[in-house]
Amino acid sequence: MRRTDRYRYPFMMTLLVVLQFTVRSHLGGDRIAPDFLLLALLLYTIRAEPGKSALAGFIIGLLRDAMTVVSFGAGMLAHTLVAFASSWAKAVFFAEHVFVKGCLFFAGTWLRNFLVLAISGKLQGSQVAWELLVWSPLQGLTTALVGVVVLWFFGGWLSPRRPGAIGIPV
Amino acid sequence: MAIGTDRYASRADTLLFLACVGLSIAALSLPDQWRDPLAQGLRQSVLAPLLFLQRQTELLAAARYRYDEVVAQRDSVALAATFLPELRSENVRLRGLLGLSQRLGGGYVSAEILHQPEPTNPLSFVVSAGKKEGVRLLSAVVSPEGLVGVVASVDEHSSVVLSWAHPEFRASAIATDGSVVGIAAPHGAEGPKVWLLELQGVLYRQQVQPGTVIVTSGLGGVFPRGIPIGTVIGQAGEEKGWGRTYLVRPAIHPAELSHVMILTTPRAAGSDLRNAFTAPDSLAPGEPPR
Repeated sequence: MRRTDRYRYPFMMTLLVVLQFTVRSHLGGDRIAPDFLLLALLLYTIRAEPGKSALAGFIIGLLRDAMTVVSFGAGMLAHTLVAFASSWAKAVFFAEHVFVKGCLFFAGTWLRNFLVLAISGKLQGSQVAWELLVWSPLQGLTTALVGVVVLWFFGGWLSPRRPGAIGIPV
Repeated sequence: MAIGTDRYASRADTLLFLACVGLSIAALSLPDQWRDPLAQGLRQSVLAPLLFLQRQTELLAAARYRYDEVVAQRDSVALAATFLPELRSENVRLRGLLGLSQRLGGGYVSAEILHQPEPTNPLSFVVSAGKKEGVRLLSAVVSPEGLVGVVASVDEHSSVVLSWAHPEFRASAIATDGSVVGIAAPHGAEGPKVWLLELQGVLYRQQVQPGTVIVTSGLGGVFPRGIPIGTVIGQAGEEKGWGRTYLVRPAIHPAELSHVMILTTPRAAGSDLRNAFTAPDSLAPGEPPR
């Protein structure tokens, strides 16, 4: 193991956070652009325990809610649930495969959007159908695509560390 | 009890998860007066560098967009500025025409030169005044600087003007001091010579100094007396027979014009228009011709 290996994972996480605040607004509409922050969270949940993942989700949700105070708390709860579920499900069900992780990113994005809508009490009207059937899947798709690309090129840097989640490397 | 088996989520994980869920639910029920300061505090502390980064990125993108816009505007202004000298020149010329119209008093028609978009004979041009405006055949066409040409044909609302450079153009000419009389005609039929006039038929014994201003003499009744034709710049080649020929720099080049005045009413016998025109440049003795 090289000395620089320990810095690669934080570097990737920081890079995704920076991308969220710099590049994302230039990647099309806000509703379909990839969510780098959620991707960073989901990548974290792959190698972290469910408790820590839930805490990370809570913090990410808190920061997001601070930026959009319309439904303060909805983001925290949604990200906590998604992060915990992702970490738990990853350990229980999913194999170490890029495609499977891509599906996890897609599902995580869609579920997060659904939960935010549900918790903030906006699950009514025709807009919800558009949101859940069109925009959320599209955002899930773009997020999953970026996630797969990140794993494809930097999979070694993000390899699982926790016991029980070690499988076949991608 | 932990969610799932201990292998996948320990008791600590479950407790942490439940704590996060509890805090989230508590945040959901926070009143506005607590929620807003909390969000504001986060934006001004933890999120401040990230929001600053986002703002700078947006500014950078906007700056790049604005740069393109500014460059486009600059190009448009530069293009417009290329026409500025032409507009100034036209403005000066129109003011000159106004001054000439006041000095002439009456008996004229203002006309615009209708420039043709296709290649055409540069020695004649069409003007926007015809029979209806009072233009007659062989009317004199002038500008504030002097003689431009003569009307060769007249339509209802337009006329064809032969400029002084046309091979068929002739005008009876005289020096301003009346010392020399001759015929003003184009110097050549093609090439650069076409844009010079010559004063033909000057008596052999008469010497014309460079810089002498030549005006129409009024003989023949086509051109009134006193319209500037040009300035003598030297002798044209060898003398032939008993006469001399002098090169004359025209008072005005037709290409410089956008508007002209057509003299429509015959002037009274003995009238002299010399004072109505701006005096053409006269050369100082010994000064080489331009």
